[in-house]
Amino acid sequence: MSIPSSLRVFLLLSPLLFSFHCQAQESGSGVSAQAASSGVVQSPEVVKLLQKMASVPHTLNYQGSFTYQHKDNPSLQSFRILHWVEDGVEHERLQHLNGPEREFLRSGKAIGCESVGDQLLQGKISQLGANLARMDQLYKFEIRGPERVAGREATALLALPLDNYRHSSLLTIDNETGLVLKSWLVDESARPLERYQFIDLDLSPDLKSLQQQPAAKLQRSAASKLTDCNPSSLKQPERWQLAWVPPGFAFVGQRQVREQIDMLMYTDGLTTFSVFIEEAAGAIPEGVAQRGATLAVMDALRFQGKSYRITVVGEIPVITAQKIAQNIGGI
Amino acid sequence: MTEQIQSPVLAESLSALMDNQVSELELQRLLKALDADPEIKSTWSRYQLASAGLKGNLEVMASGDFASRISAAIDAEETYSQKPEIVDQAPPVQSITNNGVIAGNVVAMPMRWWQQAGRVAVAASVAGALIVGVQQYQSGGAPQTAEVAANTSVVKPVATVETKAANLPSGINAPALSARTVAVQSGYESRPQENRRVMFVPRQEAAPIYNEDISTYVNQLIQEHTDNASLNSGQGMLPYTRVILIDEE
Repeated sequence: MSIPSSLRVFLLLSPLLFSFHCQAQESGSGVSAQAASSGVVQSPEVVKLLQKMASVPHTLNYQGSFTYQHKDNPSLQSFRILHWVEDGVEHERLQHLNGPEREFLRSGKAIGCESVGDQLLQGKISQLGANLARMDQLYKFEIRGPERVAGREATALLALPLDNYRHSSLLTIDNETGLVLKSWLVDESARPLERYQFIDLDLSPDLKSLQQQPAAKLQRSAASKLTDCNPSSLKQPERWQLAWVPPGFAFVGQRQVREQIDMLMYTDGLTTFSVFIEEAAGAIPEGVAQRGATLAVMDALRFQGKSYRITVVGEIPVITAQKIAQNIGGI
Repeated sequence: MTEQIQSPVLAESLSALMDNQVSELELQRLLKALDADPEIKSTWSRYQLASAGLKGNLEVMASGDFASRISAAIDAEETYSQKPEIVDQAPPVQSITNNGVIAGNVVAMPMRWWQQAGRVAVAASVAGALIVGVQQYQSGGAPQTAEVAANTSVVKPVATVETKAANLPSGINAPALSARTVAVQSGYESRPQENRRVMFVPRQEAAPIYNEDISTYVNQLIQEHTDNASLNSGQGMLPYTRVILIDEE
């Protein structure tokens, strides 16, 4: 009499309800564990941002200035970048604004010709037909919120590696164009390795002035193409074999540089490294060299009675470079 | 041992660290204390902030803000705490003090940078000090300096800048030099020779050395590698900022 009937029913049922609730929770946590093991589920916003970053900037005309600093040189350097598209082909110039006039030039990359790195950033793994890890299985991406850089609305994206084989980066990406307006590269012991930041960006520059600006006397042309456009499968290196590379790194291609050095190139979409192998006589230096974010691990290799000088160069931690270097063999 | 006694001592050490005058012992004690006492962390960042503010360099202090934002992220984060490896705090400290600049490169540091975000400020400052260490080393090694001097037409500014840098407190170092570069002709940029040098740590050795051949070789390879980096890391031509562009004759 003292307990209302509705409450009595509830008391009777509550153990049942409770156990049901538990079950629901268990199955729920099972699902999330599964999701975790296959990598963090990536937010559509991050996917979109990376896709934009890898595709849109190629198609734009722009001119911008930015500052750059790396850990071994406290001085702040400034640069100007020019980018325009003419007859479906990209043209780029990177000019030093401090010190003697000098610049890098690059022309000839056709619009729509995507590199392996561009493809990986856009999550086009299946297109490559490779058994590769997805970006979100390599990095944990976090959107750090809106940010204003160079007077433009942008989104700060933090990329934390899920293993110890690459560095972390903070990329602030322009909302409209996908251009990276600000970037920090941070090593595994929390030291900033390098950073750059745009201070202005002009998206409708006068094309004629971009084209007609006389090139600096000290200039270098950069390669506009390393491999075929939009590769549909990943190749294997010739002559050499890397028995170990960190998960997610795809072989981009191979070329010969400085006449006798074999160069093998790799990327995971955000991080790159290159392996240089050269036949050498005499003492081969072994050790670690470094400037700013870029590291070079040197090693020696004996193969079929010959000595080779190996150098692994990249913006990667030293353990990664060493492990790569130690696992190189001839075919 | 008691908190009341230790704090002022540590505060003094912190202050000394700001001025780049901390002994190895003090540094180790500070790094240990940092883990135990959040108070010290905040004191450190207050010092940094105050110092930066005084010098009008607040922009450079972005790292402090970065650290706090990262630690906020860590608080919200639970999935990736790989605690077991963190236990050993001593080796990084030891190696830093023993080896100077190379320590960070050679020793695999198990801690993720955002797990020790509170240390960011200290780590950054230590890194600054270490770079100074190299500069001292460079100007101290007489034969090498002579060699560089022989190759450089602007010998005097090199010496002056390096000595000055070595005497500056760690906090002031970076901004002061960059300001000079922008304002005066004697900046690094007008001396690509200086810029171009790549220090090299031979295997089984602790101290970095400078070797002209290795430096040149590495610079060439960095340039080749940058073709790869700039086509495959989503940032356009920007990676070419890493390449030293000089006449190759």
